[in-house]
Amino acid sequence: MNHLTPDVLIVGGGIHGCSAAYHLARAGVKVTVLEKDWVSRHASGVNAGGVRLLGRDLAEVPLSKVAMNLWQNLDDELDADTGFRRRSLINIAADEQDMNTLYARREKMHAAGYQHEIIIDQQELRERLPHVSDQCVGGVVSESDGYAIPYQSTKAFRRAAERNGAVFVEGEAVDSIRKVGAHWQVKASKNSYQSEHLLNCAGAWADKISVMIGDNVPLTHSAPMLMITTRMPHFATPVVGAVSRPLSFKQFENGTVLIGGGSKGFADRANNRTRLDYKKLAIGAKNAAEFFPIMKKASVNRMWSGLEAYMPDNLPVIGESVNADNAWHAFGFSAHGFQLAPVVGRVMADLITTGKSDFDLQAFRIDRFERKVL
Amino acid sequence: MSSTFDIAIIGAGPAGMAAAVTASKTGVSVVVLDEKSSAGGQIYRKVTSSPLENPEILGPDYIKGKALVEQFDDCSAEKYYGASVWHVGDNGEVLFSRDGQTHSLTAKEVLICCGAMERPFPVPGWHLPGVMSAGSAQVMLKADGIVRENAVFVGTGPLIYLVIAQYLRLGIKVKALVDTTPNSAYIESMTKFPGAIPQSSMLFKGLSLFNEIRKAGVPVFRSARDIKIEGAEQAEAIEFTTGGKQHRLDTDHIFLHQGVVPHLNLTRAIGLDHEWDKQQLCWRPVHNDYGQSSVEWISVAGDNTGIVGADGAEMTGKLVALSQLNRLGVITNAEQAVRSEPLNRQLHSLNRFRKFIDSMYQPIVEHRIPQDETTVVCRCEERTVAELKKGFEQGGQGPNELKGLTRCGMGPCQGRQCGHTVSELLAGWRGEGVEQVGYYRLRSPMRLLNLQEFGQFSEIKPINAMTGEPSASEEPSAKGEVV
Repeated sequence: MNHLTPDVLIVGGGIHGCSAAYHLARAGVKVTVLEKDWVSRHASGVNAGGVRLLGRDLAEVPLSKVAMNLWQNLDDELDADTGFRRRSLINIAADEQDMNTLYARREKMHAAGYQHEIIIDQQELRERLPHVSDQCVGGVVSESDGYAIPYQSTKAFRRAAERNGAVFVEGEAVDSIRKVGAHWQVKASKNSYQSEHLLNCAGAWADKISVMIGDNVPLTHSAPMLMITTRMPHFATPVVGAVSRPLSFKQFENGTVLIGGGSKGFADRANNRTRLDYKKLAIGAKNAAEFFPIMKKASVNRMWSGLEAYMPDNLPVIGESVNADNAWHAFGFSAHGFQLAPVVGRVMADLITTGKSDFDLQAFRIDRFERKVL
Repeated sequence: MSSTFDIAIIGAGPAGMAAAVTASKTGVSVVVLDEKSSAGGQIYRKVTSSPLENPEILGPDYIKGKALVEQFDDCSAEKYYGASVWHVGDNGEVLFSRDGQTHSLTAKEVLICCGAMERPFPVPGWHLPGVMSAGSAQVMLKADGIVRENAVFVGTGPLIYLVIAQYLRLGIKVKALVDTTPNSAYIESMTKFPGAIPQSSMLFKGLSLFNEIRKAGVPVFRSARDIKIEGAEQAEAIEFTTGGKQHRLDTDHIFLHQGVVPHLNLTRAIGLDHEWDKQQLCWRPVHNDYGQSSVEWISVAGDNTGIVGADGAEMTGKLVALSQLNRLGVITNAEQAVRSEPLNRQLHSLNRFRKFIDSMYQPIVEHRIPQDETTVVCRCEERTVAELKKGFEQGGQGPNELKGLTRCGMGPCQGRQCGHTVSELLAGWRGEGVEQVGYYRLRSPMRLLNLQEFGQFSEIKPINAMTGEPSASEEPSAKGEVV
């Protein structure tokens, strides 16, 4: 069968694997994606859906800015409904200390030539978020930001990839990877594959795939937690975060409010599941109600978490393998990779087809934690 | 007093009460949590404190619960009423709301006996206001003495006949019984009839209820199908056929019922293994003869294990308690075996009758798996068969993928109202067994949880600060699913 011998074999059917598959297939490359569960099963399907440029690490800003432009027309490009809504994102300052943090950040951003983060005062904060607590003193806004529906977005990339000839094999876990001559030989639970290139988009399992390829990487995994309320009257258009507190929420068009904040549950990777840490999740609830008193009456409908990969510096691995030819990595997005997917897929396609990228990927090298001197 | 117990029992119905009475006699520490203000469960709801002048009218099967409730009230188990459990961990941690606060406790052994809920009845218009379940009609009656005049009862199964009979004894006019039991079921069940003979008194009870309804002059339409509830904003009429003949009854109160299925939200959220019961056409937690689930220290009893009825629930509750006492080192293997033997025998005998009932009142395919594309499957998110079919064709092959694509099952009921339907619909579309299709992956909270209360969770009150007084905040309709 044709799909057993593609040009590029992608391990991982998350949004990055799907986006890379789309960009490669569109460029005429034969692609097969192996997914051990089903496409979008883990972090890509159950994340908070934040499409965020605000507050990015400087190293990520160039990628994130291009991704943000791509998001604005992504539905048209993929001929699908990703659920993307441009709503702006505001990080709220709870006190003067938060404002000072924002001023310092602004200086850094301006020095680097970035102008997209705008500091707002208390009055403007209230105009944009009428229900915010009186205690909040200001904030910072990025106008292009918003949210999308993760599961739909991942599926949209998958469908577009398939229309361009990519093949997805679900329930296909990789057992072993070895290089014989110029080709990768990959044995998975159902089939064996042979390809010229191998792309590791395995998310929380990417360290295992890396080791099979021959690259060590200090990846960890965790279970960021989320909860969603029942429908509430409309009270917040922008996506909301906080400068120094674990708070993050967005109200969808149907009135439900998704509350995150980055607190983590327990990742049971071996069993493909997570457990929630209710005490930590409760802190997100408390902060939401403190910053927005209207939310005191909210009812929590569901709580969940997904398995996500983290790097020690919270920056992803994007680029080539350091120990093998024709192996590539895109993983470790540390709970903020969703927004980057449209551009990282393109970067990977460029790397694989031309060996080059328009972006400086030094900060994302897989061996950046290797000690040069003991 | 501490917040640690030997045994925690979730649900004070017949199974939970029987288990608590059995276990607490030995001196182990037992806590029983129930969201209502008193014990009894759905079946014996308020049997010792009925709002009715003459509760005997509800029948001897109700009144007999008094003895068990009184025994339970007298037993030494801690009882937490008005306690709404929203999380049980597979480590034995129990989190619950009471009086607007979240509390926690831990137990060496946990018994889940949350009973049953009515099977969804997804026919066109079942989501309209004015349409409720026969079970909720009975809950309104038992708990608050509220009734609906001139209602049409639609469906099959012992409960529907019982509720109608209870209505009639109270002098409430019933407009009609639209019985969906197919005529063929009577003949087919005969093959299993010999098994029912040992319990022929129960069989007789069923028949006498039916006769009571006929004698009262309630119009009965038998072997009804093609059910359709009409109405724009609210139910206005019901249409159906019998033997190819079309009928239409104007009514604004319709009670649907086609049997009950185990309450799955808790057992699913814990992550227990479940299996598809082909006889009862429902999911149930996998368990051994002593109610032990796939997690060693978590057991299930009563209708939560698969439908066993009130008497069966009592027996399974006792069986679980004995096995828990054994694991706690309070009774020996031999003692457990001796005391379990008669219970197992009675249960076995009951089960033969249960097979007959299951066969007789098995809801027909078209009432379980909606055929009409416009029929609402997920009531919370208002998703129709057509929308699910589209999601399926777009790759929503399993319940969770379908949920992600269509939002079916994402609403406040956590899929209670659509889970079984979705499993069976997908099985049909995939041409596979329901077992292969599976069910929603659920999570705590088991019920809606106030955000402010949850926010105070880290300042949790120890359980010994509680008074043990019943909560004032009981909601009347409670577990009665509004179908």
